[in-house]
Amino acid sequence: MQIMARRMIRVLLVEDEEINRVVARAALKAAMTGDGGDDDDGHVLDEAENGEVAVQRVRAAASAAPYDLILMDRQMPAMDGHEATRRIRAMGVTTPIVAVSSDGLPADVEAFIGAGADDFTSKPLTKEKLGNILSKFRLA
Amino acid sequence: MAAALTNQLNALVNNMFAMGLLDDQFQQLQILQDSSAPDFVSEVVTLFCDDGERIICEIARQLEKPNVDFDRVDSYVHQLKGSSASVGAQKVKNTCIQFREFCQQKSRDGCLKTLDLVRTEFYDLRSRFQAMLQLEQQIQACYPKH
Repeated sequence: MQIMARRMIRVLLVEDEEINRVVARAALKAAMTGDGGDDDDGHVLDEAENGEVAVQRVRAAASAAPYDLILMDRQMPAMDGHEATRRIRAMGVTTPIVAVSSDGLPADVEAFIGAGADDFTSKPLTKEKLGNILSKFRLA
Repeated sequence: MAAALTNQLNALVNNMFAMGLLDDQFQQLQILQDSSAPDFVSEVVTLFCDDGERIICEIARQLEKPNVDFDRVDSYVHQLKGSSASVGAQKVKNTCIQFREFCQQKSRDGCLKTLDLVRTEFYDLRSRFQAMLQLEQQIQACYPKH
């Protein structure tokens, strides 16, 4: 019997608020394992506290180990999520970018999609929302 | 002893739901707490309590200025709304939504009244969260660590 090795999924979480990062971290772990209790959950999570740091992380990872998914907040200091998304796309990076914001108004969604995001989800992130995102982009 | 404290804790949390102080997100946090993250809920609650106090002080400071920068106030209210949404603090989150409308209208009176309301709601919730964390500690103390 051949055992298929599970691919390690690399995720970049771009979020300035620590409380949101803590919740997203736990929700992602639970979404990857199904129950949240498995230490070997097959993902690596990097975090960036603003858009500027996110662009640097994506640039640094691009050649060696590119991200499989980027979760992008909108309102952040230094560089917001729209600008960071635009810059990442301008680098030629095609990684799925999912906008995460508490402002789910159509104009907000359109602005993010216009900047180059692939999808939009509302805050707070939950295990279910992240599970749907992982499935949509075939990462689960 | 532990059973009585657990009953007390459950009654406190149920009451917070019944009063509309908490929503489903708090249950999500409880689900995410497991043996690999036994203090997860208390970590998030503590972050919310610390963030909330700091943000409310900053909003009050901004509204005292002769020329209020409403975009800046709105940015702080946005932060408080996000923090409230993450912990499931439904009532505080809903008041933040009203607050942002006054920011958009650039209404100092509206902002000051809503600040009073959100402050009262935040400190009420914080004291209940503190009671909850205290009960959790007392329950943990009933079970010696191996």
